[in-house]
Amino acid sequence: MRGNDAVRIAAHRPIVWFFGRILSGLVVMWAAATFAFLIQCMLPGDRAQIIINVTSGNVGQAPSAELAAMNAKYGFDQPLADQYGKYMLQILHGDLGESYQQHRPALAIIAEQIGPTIALAIAALLIAWCIAILTTLFIAGRDNIWSRLLNDTQVFLATVPPYWLATILLVLFAVKLHIFPVIGGNSPIGLVLPTLALALELSGFFGQVVQNEFTRVLEQPFVTSARARGMSDFGVRLRHVLRHAALPGITLSGWALGKLLSGAILIEVVFARQGLGGVLVTATSSRDVPIVSGAVLISAGLFVLASFIVDLTYRVVDPRTKLT
Amino acid sequence: MSVSNTRSSMRFTCRSNRLGRKVAACLSVLQSLSEFAPSGHAQESPAGNVKRGGVIRYGHFQEPPCLFGGWVQQWYLQRQYSDNLVARSADAKIVPWLAESWTISDDKKVYTFEIKPHVKFTDGTPLDAQAIADNINGWLSNDPDLRNPTATPYLSDSFESASAIAPLRLQITLKVPFQPLLNVFAQSSQGILSPSALKRGLAVNCESPVGSGPFIVDKWRHGREVTFRRNPDYNSAPATARHQGPAYVDGISWKFLPDQTVRYGSFLTGETDAIYDIPAIAWKEANSRFPVLRHITGGTPLRLALYSARPPFDDVLVRKAFAYSTDRKAAVDTSFLGSLPFEGNGALSQSSPEYLRELGQSYLYDIGKANQLLDQAGWTERNPNGVRVKNGNPLIVRVSYSNAFLKPDGEQALQAIQQQAKAAGFDVRLQPTNPADFFAGKNLGPDDYEIVLLYWVAPGAEIFRISWKPDLNGESNRFNPSHYQDITLWDVIQKAEQERSGAQRTALYQEAERKIVDEAPVIGFTVLDVTLATKPNLKDVWLDRGSVGEPVFYDAHFDEGK
Repeated sequence: MRGNDAVRIAAHRPIVWFFGRILSGLVVMWAAATFAFLIQCMLPGDRAQIIINVTSGNVGQAPSAELAAMNAKYGFDQPLADQYGKYMLQILHGDLGESYQQHRPALAIIAEQIGPTIALAIAALLIAWCIAILTTLFIAGRDNIWSRLLNDTQVFLATVPPYWLATILLVLFAVKLHIFPVIGGNSPIGLVLPTLALALELSGFFGQVVQNEFTRVLEQPFVTSARARGMSDFGVRLRHVLRHAALPGITLSGWALGKLLSGAILIEVVFARQGLGGVLVTATSSRDVPIVSGAVLISAGLFVLASFIVDLTYRVVDPRTKLT
Repeated sequence: MSVSNTRSSMRFTCRSNRLGRKVAACLSVLQSLSEFAPSGHAQESPAGNVKRGGVIRYGHFQEPPCLFGGWVQQWYLQRQYSDNLVARSADAKIVPWLAESWTISDDKKVYTFEIKPHVKFTDGTPLDAQAIADNINGWLSNDPDLRNPTATPYLSDSFESASAIAPLRLQITLKVPFQPLLNVFAQSSQGILSPSALKRGLAVNCESPVGSGPFIVDKWRHGREVTFRRNPDYNSAPATARHQGPAYVDGISWKFLPDQTVRYGSFLTGETDAIYDIPAIAWKEANSRFPVLRHITGGTPLRLALYSARPPFDDVLVRKAFAYSTDRKAAVDTSFLGSLPFEGNGALSQSSPEYLRELGQSYLYDIGKANQLLDQAGWTERNPNGVRVKNGNPLIVRVSYSNAFLKPDGEQALQAIQQQAKAAGFDVRLQPTNPADFFAGKNLGPDDYEIVLLYWVAPGAEIFRISWKPDLNGESNRFNPSHYQDITLWDVIQKAEQERSGAQRTALYQEAERKIVDEAPVIGFTVLDVTLATKPNLKDVWLDRGSVGEPVFYDAHFDEGK
């Protein structure tokens, strides 16, 4: 056995693959943490000045004594390398720092808000997949008025801004028709409209991707063979074609989860839902850096996790795929 | 100086005995009734058996990062759970609250307050003179956990000390007389908090501050709501309240609904009983269907501050020309759909007692006069784009603003002004700035703007100290974005602050007001208001008159089972 072959085989072992992914995930997290730190240092404006002005609701140059006290309190007067070292050390100890405005640990603030955001993002992902699969099963490879109509609807949904869609859904189904509450809170019924607002756009996107692949797979010899064995059209589509056609969509799910998390932030603000959205919008507009950088770090962690899950799912759906 | 020989014959009280209390309570009811006249939807006063119970679901706009502090969004909340030393009535009179009475020394430097007995904070700490002194000294200290950014700019020049000279007698000593002192104490940001609770540190106090007010902060569900429950032992209502004793309702669910569609929508569907800040587009409908409360905040209106320390606005003729060249009334009326009136008096808000109504229509659109003033100021040439030029410099006016200080419809009004001023030869360039950058100072440096859009809320003309204190002893006034330096104006303001006679003080403040409008370092734009829509079955909600117009739910009750 040549050395290269040995390396290739070792790389394909699940344990090696697993540790490789962990390592690359850690690199991503370090890069995100460093990026968040650099951003807060490079943004224009004095950090102490912003904290003082946001706290008092004023603008203008704060007195130097006040600035000095604030700089000392948060260590802004230390050399940048020292600040970076302290920041990374804090992160390694699970400490994301203290919010400049709320005066509480940023981790606690994010932890109490991220649950509803993740719930909304996952619900939207599942619903988007359900809508995309159902519509694709019925319209792919067919040419009638319904397939054209559904296809056009998918294109429309894929291009419509979720923020606008959310407002329309809110006014129509909550304010006018009273079917859903305007302030949904965290109740299951309150999850319906925000989920739809997020999922509809993604379902259009998924639908278009899956449909193209679905149409291509429909023309493959194994499909003709399945039909020749007497399987119904719907059975062929569901059992044979969908499995293959879904692969590009699954690949996109990792990306979609990231997109949904950021989309959820906007949607939460529209529906006044508890979640990371309101906190992040406020933190961004008051430049509460520990919260913003903490959210960046946690989002990076979630993204790494989602990519990992997608890779695993890929292997389950298509066993031919090697873990690389 | 001892207490005995500093006590003046001038005494303010309305709680000398039981009869006095009843009379005071009656007067306060009558007084507060008058507050609702301007809204056109006067609410009934509780008479006979008021139904108790129920939780008021209130939809507010912004969620602050801390439940007390210097930002007005914090004042709204603090008004619900803390009491002030004194209150300010609708007719701008200072009336008792935690202080039953007070005296002022002849030299106007020593204030002695008699504190209401048997009052406790909701953590059980006695509310006595020492507790109040600790609060006041903390506001003026350098401790970032205790410092009060609202009180400091008013009092830092005059305050000397606050001390308890007896368990229920508080003495405040000033270095120089400062007559608006009681107005400052009447603002919700100066609500008295439990000194024992304050020792827990800012992080805990932000989350669960402890006052002695009619409601207790129960839980803050970040991103959603703050819930308040009734303080069952409440016994320290202000003289402006309509009743004494605990609140009628069981509590308040104070929801944060920043999106105006959600906020107004929740009100229409019955998910909230009262909402803050009626959207411009729903203003007419809300007024026709629901009781609407409105308070025009005191202090300054929303105004254009013109950088007066360098060209082109160092020339008063150019400042006036800019004012005349813009039809600000039309811009405001068109953009705000009648929900927010134009204000031509840039010096002072309409609800300030010293406001001069004749100045409210200052510098109305007159393009002829604008051109004439610019010619007179030497801006006679024009470049090919029609922009006036002087000594080779075009007449460029950069306007800095942020939505932290401007409602969304205001941007449309600014765009209208940009177009209007072009006819006179101004090249107006708008500089929208996001709140974070604005607070960081972007577009606010000495060479960054010619105009900036800002306001400051206060009870009345004491705001002049904040805005127009000149740069002295190498210390620049950060609250003067016009950089207008006028020692004679400052002298008049200081005289007013030290003048005991109310009429003469008003006259001095009005002299300053005229001078400000005449010199035009600021130009009026719109009034600032607080609006509240309530469900018809929710009675006796009122807006505080300290300065901002915080909703007061202490007297509120439902007129049917809830």
